[in-house]
Amino acid sequence: MSEDFKPVTIIMIEDDEGHARLIEKNVRRAGVNNKIIPFTNGTDALAFLFGKDGSGNESAARHLLILLDLNLPDMTGVDILARIKNNVHLKRSPVVVLTTTDDAREIQRCYDLGANVYITKPVNYEGFANAIRQLGLFFSVIQVPETA
Amino acid sequence: MPTTNRSLVRSTVILLTTGFVALVAIVAAAFWLGVRSQVHFDEVIAARDARTATVALRHSLEVAESSQRGYLLTGDGHYLKDYGPTHDLIPSQYESAAQLLSSYPQANQELARLKMAIDQKLSEMDQTIALKKAGRDTDALALVKSDKGEALMEEAQRFFSAVIDIANDRMAASAADQQRSARWLRWVSIIAALVIILVVGSSILTVFRYTRELAKARDEVSALNRDLEERVEERTADLAKANEEIQRFAYIVTHDLRAPLVNIMGFTSELEASIGSVQALIGKSVDNDDPVLEEAKLAAMEDLPEAIGFIRASTHKMDGLINAILKLSREGRRVLRPERVDLAEVLDVAAAAVQHQLNDAGGSIEFNVNVPSMWTDRLSLEQIFGNLLDNGVKYRSKERPLHIIVRARQESGDRIAIEIADNGRGIAEQDRERVFEPFRRSGAQDQPGEGIGLAYVRTVVRNLGGDITMTSSLGKGTSFHVTVPRHLANIGSIAA
Repeated sequence: MSEDFKPVTIIMIEDDEGHARLIEKNVRRAGVNNKIIPFTNGTDALAFLFGKDGSGNESAARHLLILLDLNLPDMTGVDILARIKNNVHLKRSPVVVLTTTDDAREIQRCYDLGANVYITKPVNYEGFANAIRQLGLFFSVIQVPETA
Repeated sequence: MPTTNRSLVRSTVILLTTGFVALVAIVAAAFWLGVRSQVHFDEVIAARDARTATVALRHSLEVAESSQRGYLLTGDGHYLKDYGPTHDLIPSQYESAAQLLSSYPQANQELARLKMAIDQKLSEMDQTIALKKAGRDTDALALVKSDKGEALMEEAQRFFSAVIDIANDRMAASAADQQRSARWLRWVSIIAALVIILVVGSSILTVFRYTRELAKARDEVSALNRDLEERVEERTADLAKANEEIQRFAYIVTHDLRAPLVNIMGFTSELEASIGSVQALIGKSVDNDDPVLEEAKLAAMEDLPEAIGFIRASTHKMDGLINAILKLSREGRRVLRPERVDLAEVLDVAAAAVQHQLNDAGGSIEFNVNVPSMWTDRLSLEQIFGNLLDNGVKYRSKERPLHIIVRARQESGDRIAIEIADNGRGIAEQDRERVFEPFRRSGAQDQPGEGIGLAYVRTVVRNLGGDITMTSSLGKGTSFHVTVPRHLANIGSIAA
C-alpha cells in the first residue's frame, strides 16, 4: 500500500436500520472491512457529502462508494443520485442503488441519472444475503477513483 | 308552448277542413248563381217576349184604327190597304200574347176583358167601314162619334200599358235579383278567399313554427349530447385518475410493506443461525440435572425452532400476498399496446398451455369461435383466457371427465362476448361475487395459489374496457362471460 492510498469509505444511505444492519453484516461476511458510514435520512447524508455550503468541496480527495436506498423519509433517493452525479467532486464516485422498488421505469431513470449499479432487495433472506455478499465481493475488487 | 305531434295533426286537420269548407262554399255559391242566372234570364226573355207580343198587338190595333180613320175621313180605299191583313193578324197576335201572359195570373181577367174589347173594337171598325162602303157616311160618323170605339181603344191601351209596365218591372226585378245574386257571390267569394288565405297563412305559420321548434329541439338534443359527452369524458378522466391513485397507493403500500418484511425474514435467519450455536453449546453440556439448563435446552431445541418456523411460514405467506397485490397493481399500471388480434389464435395458445393437464385429466376442450379480428392488447387477452382455462382445469369435478366449451360471438356496440363454460365443481351462490375479490377462494382448498386469479382477470378485463360475469351451478359447472370492446381505442384513456 502506497503512502497516499486512502481506503474506500462506504457511505450507506438507508432509512431502515434493520436493513442497514443486515447489509453491514453480510458485507462484512464477504470479507469487506472498509469503513461504513451509515445515514438514515437524506438530509444528513447530503450534509456529509456536500458540506455545509453544499459545494461538495469537503468530499474532494475522498474515496467514496455510495450505497443508496430510494425510499427515504425526507426525500427520494433519486434526488440524491441526481445531485451526486451533477457535482464535480462526486460524479465519479460509484453509486449502488439498493432498494425494494423493482419498477422498470424507476430502474431506467436511475441509470439515466448515472447510477452505476441497481440492485433490487430480494424479500427472501437467502437471496438478500447472497446479493449483499456478492456486492461485498464486488466492493473488494472495484477500483474507486479519488474524488477530484 | 311546444307544438306536439298531436296538436300539429289536430290543427292541420282543422285548417284543412276549414279551407275545404270555404272552397265548397265558393263552388256552391257559384253553382247557385248559375242556376239563378238561368232562371232570371228565362224570366227576362219571357217578359221581353210578352212585352214584344203586347207591343205588336197594340201596334196592329193602332194600324187598323188609323187605317179605319183614314178611310172614314177620306173615303179613299187606299187607306184600307193595310186594314185587311192587320185585321186578320190581330186574333193570332192576341193568342200568342195571351199565351205568353198565361204565367201572369193577375192578367187572366184582364185578358178576357181585352179579348172582349178587341173583338168589339174590331167589330166596331168593321161596322164603320161597312157603313162607309155602303155610303152611309153619317151613320158611320155617328158610330165613331158615339166614342164607343174610342173607349174600347183606351181600355186596350190601358191594358197594354199595364202589361208593358209589368213586363218592365219584371225585367227590372230580374236584373236586380241578378245583381243581388252577383253581390252575394262576390261576398261569399271574398269571405271564402279570406278564409282560405287565413287557413293557408296559419298552415304556413304552424309549419314554420313546428319546423323552428324541431330545429330548436334538435339543437338542444345535440347540445345535451355534447354536454353529456363532456361529462362522460370528465368522469372518465376522474375515474382514470382515481384508478391510478388506487394503483399507485397499492404499489407504494406493497413496497413499504416489503421493507419490514425483509427485516423480519433477515433477522429470523440470523436468529436461526444464532440458535444453531446455542444448540451446539447446550448439546455439549453434560449436567442434565440442572433444572435451569433443562429449561434452556427445551427452549433452544424445541420452542425457538417452532417459533421461528411459524415466523418464517407467516412471512412467506405475507410475501406471497404482497406479491399478488403488486401483480394486480402493476397490471393496472401496465401500458396497453393495441394490435390486430385474432381471438381464435389467442384461445388456441391459451388452450395449448393447459393441454398437458387436460390430457392427464382425460378432459377435452371445444371451440365455437367465429368473430372478426380485434384491435386490442394481446397480452391482456392471453392472460384472461390463460387464467380462466387454468381455473377450469384446476377446479374440475372428480366425478366426470372435464369438458370445456369456449364460445365467442360479436355483440351490438361492436363488442365481443366470450363464454367459457366447464362442467367442473361449480361455485356456491354466496361465493359468486367473492371469488372476484383478491385472496378469496371458493370450495375445497386443494389447489395452491393466493386466490388472486379471478381478481387479476377482472382487473385485466376492465382495463380493456370490458367486464366479466359468471353463472354457476354448484356441482355442475361454471360459465364465465367476458365482454370486451372489439377496438381498444374506443374506451378512452381509462387504462392509461
